[in-house]
Amino acid sequence: MLHNPLAFGGGFMKRKERKFGSNNSAQLLIVAALAIAILISATTAYVYELGKETNGTYNLPISDFVFAIKQTTRNAVISSLANVSNGGEKTLLATNLNELSQILRNLKQFGIWQLSFAVLDNLVYDSGIWLSWGTSGIGVSSAYADFTLRAYDIAMNSTVNYAVNVTTTITVSGYYTTILGIEKVVNLTCNVYNEGEPALAQNITLFYENLGIWVPIDSSNNFSITDYGNGTYAISFIVTTLSNTVQVSAHLRDLRGIIVQANMTCYEG
Amino acid sequence: MRSQNKGQIRIIEAFLAVLIIFSSFAVSANLTTTQNTTKRDDLSYTGLQALMKLDSDGSLGKYIDEGNWTALRDALNLILPAGTSFNLTVYNSQMQQVNTAVISNGALNNQEIAFVEYLCVSQGLVFRCYIIHLHLAVAS
Repeated sequence: MLHNPLAFGGGFMKRKERKFGSNNSAQLLIVAALAIAILISATTAYVYELGKETNGTYNLPISDFVFAIKQTTRNAVISSLANVSNGGEKTLLATNLNELSQILRNLKQFGIWQLSFAVLDNLVYDSGIWLSWGTSGIGVSSAYADFTLRAYDIAMNSTVNYAVNVTTTITVSGYYTTILGIEKVVNLTCNVYNEGEPALAQNITLFYENLGIWVPIDSSNNFSITDYGNGTYAISFIVTTLSNTVQVSAHLRDLRGIIVQANMTCYEG
Repeated sequence: MRSQNKGQIRIIEAFLAVLIIFSSFAVSANLTTTQNTTKRDDLSYTGLQALMKLDSDGSLGKYIDEGNWTALRDALNLILPAGTSFNLTVYNSQMQQVNTAVISNGALNNQEIAFVEYLCVSQGLVFRCYIIHLHLAVAS
């Protein structure tokens, strides 16, 4: 029997190839296992990082923030009207709203907010302010501005239009009765309103006119005031005047610090 | 050839296993994140409502104007639900800290800390704008 060296060599090569093939398969399995391990590690790391990123952020409805900003603008209008009614410049409203708008633009916690406004200018309002401190027993201190609030966020853009009207009104009515010669008892009813709703006063100061001079009314005039707690005040005091009528001036500061005045003429009742 | 096919099938099986593991990780992580965010949102909403309530009558701005930090802390303690820890910081419009005392009712130990930023304008005669940072957590 002769061995064919080629045939021998071929068998050896086939065994070698099979051996090499099975070796390759094992290596590929190791590579696959490594790939699994890397993928699991990467996933775990990604989930951890994702958890860290969401910590501290929140997704409250945009309407909540709009409501909060509406309140802030309202406070800004109240502050401006309080200042103007105390003798400040009427242009202060626009100045303060500009400053608020600038500060709001710099806040980027909830996205980008842009607040634009227009103060009311018409027959009665000047630079958004109306002070009517008349002689008919009615006094009005009012501020009015229109706002446009734009919110830019990754998720959505939103535009909200709204108006802020802050008005303090006082009505004074009354009469006097003569008690002795030129001594007269004046009885007044004073009503206070904030935006048309009954409101409380922080303080009320009264004056009466005697010989062209406004005289403050104090305890020497037997001054008494009854607070009914619903925005109605009953006031009584004694004045000494030769006149047949009593000119009265009421100066009121409401709880927001807004001043309003009303003058009226009291006749004998 | 058959052994090579076997190897390929093993690799495919391994990748299928990876896919299953990956999807389970993704689903579970997403669920956890949603729950945590909801908790934080509730707390943020509570904090925002508390600040708005204080600001509705101008009390918030008044406390800050007067530097009455104790009254501000007490008011927040009253308004916020029991078991809520908070830490409040007041900044002016130049982002300089205004409060000279710590306005807090305890340490925020919980991992779930909610944050609220609020813009407050005081109703006083002088226009003052404050930026309020309120951190909240459920006391552990």
